[in-house]
Amino acid sequence: MERTPEIFDKIEGYLSHTLPKEEIVAFEKELATNQELQQEVEKHRVLHKTLSDQDTLDFKEKLMQISATIKKEQNSPSTLVSAPYWKIAASIAILLGVGVLLWYTYINQPNNTQDLYGAFYEPFPVEDAIRGNTNNEEIQSVVKNYARGAYDSVAVVLEKHPNLNSQLQLYLANSYLNINQEEKAMSLFKDIKSSGKYYEVAKWYLSLTYLKLNTPKKSIPLLKEIITYNGAYKDKATRLLKALEKK
Amino acid sequence: MNTTEDHKILEGIVSGNEVIITTFYRNNLPYIRQYILQNSGNEEDVEDVFQDALILVYQKLKTDSLELHSSLRTYFYGVCKNMWRNRLRKNKKMVIAESLPEDIQIIDSDIIKEIERKEREHVYRKHFLNLSDTCREVLSLLFQGNSMKNIAHITGYSEGYTRKKKFECKRSLIEMIEKDHIYEELQLKPEKKL
Repeated sequence: MERTPEIFDKIEGYLSHTLPKEEIVAFEKELATNQELQQEVEKHRVLHKTLSDQDTLDFKEKLMQISATIKKEQNSPSTLVSAPYWKIAASIAILLGVGVLLWYTYINQPNNTQDLYGAFYEPFPVEDAIRGNTNNEEIQSVVKNYARGAYDSVAVVLEKHPNLNSQLQLYLANSYLNINQEEKAMSLFKDIKSSGKYYEVAKWYLSLTYLKLNTPKKSIPLLKEIITYNGAYKDKATRLLKALEKK
Repeated sequence: MNTTEDHKILEGIVSGNEVIITTFYRNNLPYIRQYILQNSGNEEDVEDVFQDALILVYQKLKTDSLELHSSLRTYFYGVCKNMWRNRLRKNKKMVIAESLPEDIQIIDSDIIKEIERKEREHVYRKHFLNLSDTCREVLSLLFQGNSMKNIAHITGYSEGYTRKKKFECKRSLIEMIEKDHIYEELQLKPEKKL
């Protein structure tokens, strides 16, 4: 059965009892003989029932965040240190930490670009439509992995494709940013066509990449360009520029 | 057997206390991981089962229907293992020959039926949370019973755009769900209506 906005509207009206009487009669008549429609109505019914439970959705989301945090901890090199040596390693880390703190406090200028990066960076969100080859299962799986933060897997698959569209280039570049391959991310963001709809997005992420690389001076002209462009990232760019100029 | 410690954890789960839930997650995931990886599962299965079992506990706590006749840990492991065996059975990957571990036996048949009944819900939820923020916002408002006019008013989109977005997001969600292997298995062996 082909899914159309009209069929969806009708099913939703039927389930929420908002269809006019005569339409209910006609719909039920069709429903009685059309098995595909019966299945479709059932899918919508369960979908509405399950996803109207906002508390459980919030709880699931919390679990996903907790899981991501735990994975991050497990992937950090500190967990690889074997138990008998952890105290020595911790002492060295503290000494190094104190040294670095002194270096930043007395020798180097206060440097909070990494904090700013942390505050402003959010991965480019997964869009509901994949442009181009939507039926490609490999790409569907890439998007799924990207959405769950499995950036390594995304990079492994996408870097094999020579001609990615801008949307997938953004997913790949964001994945690189998350696995600390900033140079590769930078080159992809620079490569996004100036004529396309993702140009402004690419500029924004390029400015954040410079921030992550601790070269905020390179971010500033890009942010000014985004502000002049007056698009979706104008507000964020204005706030970030202000924060950088305060430094 | 509901110890003070278990009571604290249960309270933490139902109130969404992040520290308590994180500690429970961190302490118990390795055991479930080992069980699932040893029984034909992968890392994604581990996360799915662990989270879905916790959701079951959460929902039972919310409806005041959790009856613990063992420690929370034993109960939870029993739910996870039953859930995984159920998925494997549907996927025809498992030959059920080994004797049942104690914590599987501890779960009564009502919970097993509930695990089965909730399988579809887990798939729906998982894919919904993978949608874009815009889709989630529009669909959440729809699922809460709002009209297109209301949704347009709340989100600030035009009514035409809201309708278009609602259709695209919902279609994309249904398609993702249909492609999920757990959902496919449920379709092949449909659950009985209760």
